Formats: sequence, structure tokens, C-alpha cells
Amino acid sequence: MLGSMFLFSLLIVLAFRFGFGEAVESAEVSMPFLASSSLWICFSFAAIVGMSSSFAKEKDRETLDGLLLCPVDRGLIYAGKVISNLVLVFFVDVLSIVFFSLFFSYDFGGNVHLVLGVALLGTVSLVLIGTLTAAISVNTRAREVLLPILLIPLIAFSIIIPCVTATRNAIEGNISESVREIVSIAGFAVVFAAVGYLTVDYVLEG
Amino acid sequence: MDRKRIFAVLLAVSLALMLLTVYLAMFYAPLPVMSVKTADGLLTSLEGEDITVAGFAWNVTARMLPSIPEAPPPQLFTLLLFDFSDFERYSNAAQAGELDQPWWTVQPLLVHIKAGGQVGGYITDPIMNGTNLSVTAKIWAPGAYLDENPDQYLLVARGAGSVEVAESSSAFSLVTAPVAQKIFYFHMPSAWVSYLGFFVTLVFSAMYLKSRKPKFDVIAYSAAELGVLFATLALLSGPIWAKEEWGVYWRWNDTKLVTTFILWLVYIGYLMLRAAITEPTTRARVSAVYGILGFVTVPMSLLSSRIAPLLQSGHPVVIATKGGSLSPEAGMTIGFAVIAFTFLFITMLIKRVEVAECEENVEELKRSIGGEE
Repeated sequence: MLGSMFLFSLLIVLAFRFGFGEAVESAEVSMPFLASSSLWICFSFAAIVGMSSSFAKEKDRETLDGLLLCPVDRGLIYAGKVISNLVLVFFVDVLSIVFFSLFFSYDFGGNVHLVLGVALLGTVSLVLIGTLTAAISVNTRAREVLLPILLIPLIAFSIIIPCVTATRNAIEGNISESVREIVSIAGFAVVFAAVGYLTVDYVLEG
Repeated sequence: MDRKRIFAVLLAVSLALMLLTVYLAMFYAPLPVMSVKTADGLLTSLEGEDITVAGFAWNVTARMLPSIPEAPPPQLFTLLLFDFSDFERYSNAAQAGELDQPWWTVQPLLVHIKAGGQVGGYITDPIMNGTNLSVTAKIWAPGAYLDENPDQYLLVARGAGSVEVAESSSAFSLVTAPVAQKIFYFHMPSAWVSYLGFFVTLVFSAMYLKSRKPKFDVIAYSAAELGVLFATLALLSGPIWAKEEWGVYWRWNDTKLVTTFILWLVYIGYLMLRAAITEPTTRARVSAVYGILGFVTVPMSLLSSRIAPLLQSGHPVVIATKGGSLSPEAGMTIGFAVIAFTFLFITMLIKRVEVAECEENVEELKRSIGGEE
């Protein structure tokens, strides 16, 4: 699965490189804008690919039933899933940043550590809501199609828009202007964690 | 029998209220005198296009536009003042696309704003009180410059009534399309009812998870379906008005529009999720969780035009009375409209729940005779 996510992010960054090739070479597009938006498109879609298979395999192999038989709180299973997804997705985030840097020969204005920081914060939020949505969509027939349909509207405002703005500000070196965005992402992370912890019992039941 | 009678009464009441709303909106509610919007939203979003803005004149005297400091080249505005008192004539002309015809002009006023230079253009003759003024501006300026200080470039009919340029405040009073404003009496209640529907979904989803009564699931589902229907109406009627008032169908920098759109997508997702699960209890349980999750976005949508948003919102605010944008008659009409739509929603919800129960009975019967799985 790591392999498929690796390839997926490689190919998305490649698609951006081809799509924006001429615009980048003629410097008609601002790199902080392009970098922040394409990175977050890449993160979101790679996360969707990763998270959809995380539950799907367990459902098909009936590992999920085994997990549910364990005498632990369902919230802990959710927390475990969140952590494993977080490691996976953040790894792919780092890879995408590396690919972007290579393909566009771009150094993120020397602020890679800030970009990574925003990526980590946004990914925590994304994974918290994504894991719950993946657990929801795994019950359905067309789960691969349904996960993005269910997830993207939920993350559009809460994660993608503030993360893109914060990443852009991070690249431009004025992350201090993005305090509101960062607070908002963190706030949504708390909301999603609470909703996830409270409702996962019902999702994983049966 | 008793239930049927209650339903008939509800149906009659909601239909009567709807008819009353239509009557009030068409004949009772006056055309708007002013609405508040920001120059910021108006200018930056319409760069490169013709815009028409209008207001009612009162004691219009000659005013000069201020000079514009340090403008990058080239800036050129052409402003025309139109007589706007004859709405019928206006709407005919608007339909025929003849708004730029000279016979409209009560007072031609060509304003050329040049880079860094003095602004030309005066209103020389006083204009009759009560004349509805319309200003057409062709905007050639690059957006970057307009973002800086857009307020200075618009002719404004302000609260005091005189036509002048708003120099500092970002809010000013103009109505672009007074006739199109009628759609507001149906647009805003639709949006309200869709939020109501989604709230009902939230409540009954939570109640289902607590008690596991299938009835609650049916209500949650029906309310979501109606919410999507009314949100669709709001999303369709909004752009019709926006094209007249703002000159564009949609603004991506308006938080309220975008959040309502996203909300609509969330509940479309809810309906698709339900369609993709066959097993009834799994469907009820899982979609209840998503119904709760989806509602996280609703308060955001409702509050987006009040609380400091992540993006700017130029959406008209209804309930807050900043500068009293609604006349009492219009306020009464909108009140009736909201009541009428709420009654309609309740009536439709009851019927939809009944239909859903019938559907379930049919499924049950099919299963019992060993038909479809």
C-alpha cells in the first residue's frame, strides 16, 4: 500500500509538472501559489487512496471482525487506525514535498521545515476525519468511489483552504500571518477527534 | 383518519401561506431603497466587465471625484448616470440588452480616471429627488491596484442621499437590481428551510443512534432529502439574483455561497451513501454518523457572514440590522415567507415519511413472499 501511495504522489506531482510546465518556465505562475495548492491536492488525494485501502483490506480479510472481538474500547481501535494512517500519510507528504522540490527545482523559499510543520498539522486533521469517513464508506458497495465523495466536502473548508493559505505564507516566510488559519486547523482537529472518538462505536459495530 | 385530517389542514395552511407570500412579495413589498454592500466585493470581482449599480437620488448636487494617488498605468473608468425611475422601462431595456443606449441617459457623465492624475467628471445639473440613479462603470483597472483602495472609485448614493464618492467607509448603499430583489423572498426562506432540514437530520440521526428506532432513521433521511431539495432551490435562485445585482452568477470569494454549496455536496454524499448500502440497519447506523458529521459544516455556513471568516463574504446579511437594510413591509413579507416555507417543509416532511414507510412495507412484503432480496 505504501508502494501504491508512493507511486500515486509521484504521478500527481508529475502531472502538475506537465500541466504547469510552460507556465513555470515562463514564470507566469507564482511558485508559492502553485506549490501550496498542488501539494495540498497531492496530500489530500494520496491520503484518500491510503485511507480507503486501510479499512478495505481488513474488511475483506475479516481482520476487522477479529479486531472488534478484542476486549478494548472501540475508540482505541480508532486511535490506532488514526496513528497508523498518520504515519503513512505523513510519509507520503514528505515524499511529495521531495518530488515537488526535485521536479520543479524549487527550495520552498528555504522554509521547508515550516511547510513540513503545516503539512503535519493539516495531516493530523485530515487523518482524524478521513479515518472515520473511511470506516463509514467501507460498509458500502462502491467504497473507492464513495470515500472521496464523502470526504472532500468535509475537508474543503476545514482543511484544504486554510492549509493552502498557511503553506503559501510559510513558503513566503511570513507564517506569522497565518495564525488564524493554524488555529482554525487545530480547532477542527479537536472537533474531528471528538466526533470520531464519540461516533466510532456506532460505525464499527456489527 | 384523524392523522389524515391534520395533514389536510397542514397542507391547506401551507398552500394558503405560500399564496399569501407570493402576493406579498409581488404587490406589497416595496422595491428596495438601499442595500448595503462593500465596494471591495463589487469592484475586485468584476474587473474587466461592465457593471451597473443604481441608487435612489436625494438632493443630488455636483460633486467631484477625488484625485487618485500613485496609480499604476493605465486606469480608465467610464461612468454613466441613468434615469432609473421607470422600472418597467428599465426591465424592458435590461431584457433587450439596451442598458447602454444613450436614450437612457438622464445625465451623461463620463469619468476618466487616469494614472496618478486628476479625476474628471461632474454632475452639473441637480437631479430630481426620488430619481433612481444607475451608474454603469467599465472597469479597466488591473485588480491588484483596485484591491488597495477600491472605495474611492465608485459613485455612491449614500445614506444622506447625495451622490458622492465614498472615500473612507467600505460600506455604502446601492441597489443594482431592484426588481430582481423580489427573488430574495423565496431565496432566503429556501436556504433557511434547507438548514432546518439538515438540523432535523442531525437531531434524528442522534436519536436513532441512541434508541435504534427505525422511525427516527426514516425522518432523518426524509429531512435530508428535503434539505437537499431546498438547498438546490436556494443555490439556483441565488445566482439569478446575483447576475443582476453583482453582474456575475457566482463569487468564489463569498464564504456563504461556497459553504452552502459544500453543504449541499455533503448531503448529496449522505444520500449517495444511503443508496450504496443495502442492509437497512447498517445503512441507518452508518448514515446517522455521517449525518452528524456533515452538520459540523452547517454552523460554519450559517455563521460565515457574521463571524470573521477565512474568506471575505459580500453576502447580504438579513437578520443583523446594520443600517436597516429592510423596510418594515419587506421585513413582514420575509417573515411570512419564512413561516410559509417552514409550514411547507413540515407538510412535505410528514408526507415524505409516510411515503418512506410505505416503501418499507412494500420491501417487507416482497421479502415475505420470497421475491426480491
